[in-house]
Amino acid sequence: MSETKETGEGQKKDHGVLYIGMDLGTSRTSVSASNGVRETVYSMVGYPKDVVSHKLLKKDVLFGKEALEKRLSLKLYKPLEKGVLKFTGDATMDAEAKANLKAATDLIGEAVRLAKPRKDELVYCVIGAPAEASVKNREAIIEAARAHVDSVMLCSEPFSVAYGLDWLEDVLVIDIGAGTTDMCRMHGTMPEEADQVMFDTAGDAVDAELSRRITETCKGAQFTIHMVKDIKERYGFVGEAAERCIVELPVDGKPTPFDLTDAIRAACSILIDPIVKGIHKLVATFDPEFQNRLKNRVLLAGGGSMVKGLDSAVEKAMKERLGSGKVIRIEEPIYGGANGALKIAHDMPADFWEQLK
Amino acid sequence: MAGFKETLKDAVRQLSFRTSLDSLRKKGVQQVNVLGLDRITALIEAAVHRSLKSRLVGVEREAIADATKAEFLRMLRTNEDLQRQKSEVEEQRERAEDEVDQLRRELTQQNQALQLRLEQDALGLANRYEGENAAIARKVTEVVQSLAQSGSASLSTVEQRLMELVLDVVSGERQSAEAARRTLHDREVDNLQRRIKKLNDNLVVTEQRLQLVAAQKNVDGGISSVYREVQGVAGGDGQGEKKKELMSGIFQANLKLQKKAQGGA
Ligand SMILES: Nc1ncnc2c1ncn2[C@@H]1O[C@H](COP(=O)(O)OP(=O)(O)O)[C@@H](O)[C@H]1O
Ligand SMILES: [Mg+2]
Repeated sequence: MSETKETGEGQKKDHGVLYIGMDLGTSRTSVSASNGVRETVYSMVGYPKDVVSHKLLKKDVLFGKEALEKRLSLKLYKPLEKGVLKFTGDATMDAEAKANLKAATDLIGEAVRLAKPRKDELVYCVIGAPAEASVKNREAIIEAARAHVDSVMLCSEPFSVAYGLDWLEDVLVIDIGAGTTDMCRMHGTMPEEADQVMFDTAGDAVDAELSRRITETCKGAQFTIHMVKDIKERYGFVGEAAERCIVELPVDGKPTPFDLTDAIRAACSILIDPIVKGIHKLVATFDPEFQNRLKNRVLLAGGGSMVKGLDSAVEKAMKERLGSGKVIRIEEPIYGGANGALKIAHDMPADFWEQLK
Repeated sequence: MAGFKETLKDAVRQLSFRTSLDSLRKKGVQQVNVLGLDRITALIEAAVHRSLKSRLVGVEREAIADATKAEFLRMLRTNEDLQRQKSEVEEQRERAEDEVDQLRRELTQQNQALQLRLEQDALGLANRYEGENAAIARKVTEVVQSLAQSGSASLSTVEQRLMELVLDVVSGERQSAEAARRTLHDREVDNLQRRIKKLNDNLVVTEQRLQLVAAQKNVDGGISSVYREVQGVAGGDGQGEKKKELMSGIFQANLKLQKKAQGGA
């Protein structure tokens, strides 16, 4: 198992080694690779519904935004959605579980392709998986990745985020995703159950809240949840508004401007309270000697962290409730996990990679 | 007339019976008066002549005498013939009765064998076609039973009735088999057509993909990694030892997970 692996084409992989860091998110999968490539794709996989769709789309499988856009002609899967990847590894898997596992495998394959590996290079991949992913989920992810790379390792997502910033100890990572917000405190070794807090007030919850408020305040406005998500990603903020959020929504088919400033602020603000409560819990149960240090090393990551003013708002709330706090939003929330995973891949000794081939 | 005498002698000889002296003695006979055959014949001749002489004269008498003698002999012979014919008829009748008996037995046996076979066939048929064709099997059984009950059924009747029934059943079966074959054929053709269409569609897609690949010649290539070899934690890193420790921790966790996945799955 320790010999240089050869691909199906029998090509020798002696040209080099490509590291890929992958953030396998429920809503978005991002890769960052040692050839300079950084790509992201929505964690959606679609297969043509029927022969007609297949002929029309001219593809066997579609990913990300393209899959979302063509969803009417597709059987669409979100294979990493919470509770979806129910890999059991035995014959009891139902058809839907199998379909999801295939979608996950295809998605990981697509993410690897996005990294543009050369056929003659070894591909070593570190995947940041949600901290709360079950062992079965992890096995399924490993299984899926093995089909596309020479060697693969999993690590917890918040760990890779922190590692990417060289913050190895006494860090509190807050990853605001679509379905869940994952909080994890790092103190050297791998995080344990007690180091984690997870709740579902996250991106999707903000969308739902904004949608509810638009329905309430904008009479006759027509919209979909996808439109609401776009609005949030474009204007999302908490605290002081830098600009008025004037959005055109169709009323009876006619584009009509609406001022959504207050609705957007209110919707995005639902993120703050549970985060501060989570910080409180993780700090209060931490080694008292290092509690202050932890409070001052709070990292905001994930797509949801791009809500403008969120870092300041959380910091302000911490000061009010916990006496002090310093919150840093990572440079590239979308690639934070992938960058960190890439760094881990780089730092992993050759011997370890060989053993896992 | 010597001829007549001889014939008369024969007739008397035939009408007389032989017996032994012993058997006569047992009957208490001491003495027998032996009357020679010639003498008896002469006596009969004389008797005939005498009775005739009294009523007829001349040639007529002679002629009638001859006629009477002839008639007598004829009657004698007819009697014999009748006797012989009777026994022949009786023999023939007995033989015929035997033959009829034999035929009857054989017929019964054949009937039983046939009935058994038909019943077995009916049973087999019932087994084969149980369910949808049970009615047909029942019909066969009914015919067999009705024929068996009437008793008078000859082989040919059985044959005819069964032939009708069987032909009826067979043609029905043929029709349904033919219909089934047609349906199957239709389905096969359908499937083939579908498969051909699918293959055709796949072919179109594959061809398009081939064209696409041909259009962009340097399609693979990929982008080279900046690394020629596996790296590991950099030597001068201030947190190097800590990082190595963390890497080891991640590796151990993965080793456990992947061994389990490989062994368990
Ligand atoms: N600019 C933005 N402002 C606010 N929210 C954003 C922005 N960009 C993305 N998001 C939200 O971030 C969430 C996805 O974050 P991500 O880290 O990709 O999720 P996951 O880790 O679950 O895949 C979505 O709810 C999305 O709407
Ligand atoms: Mg994520």
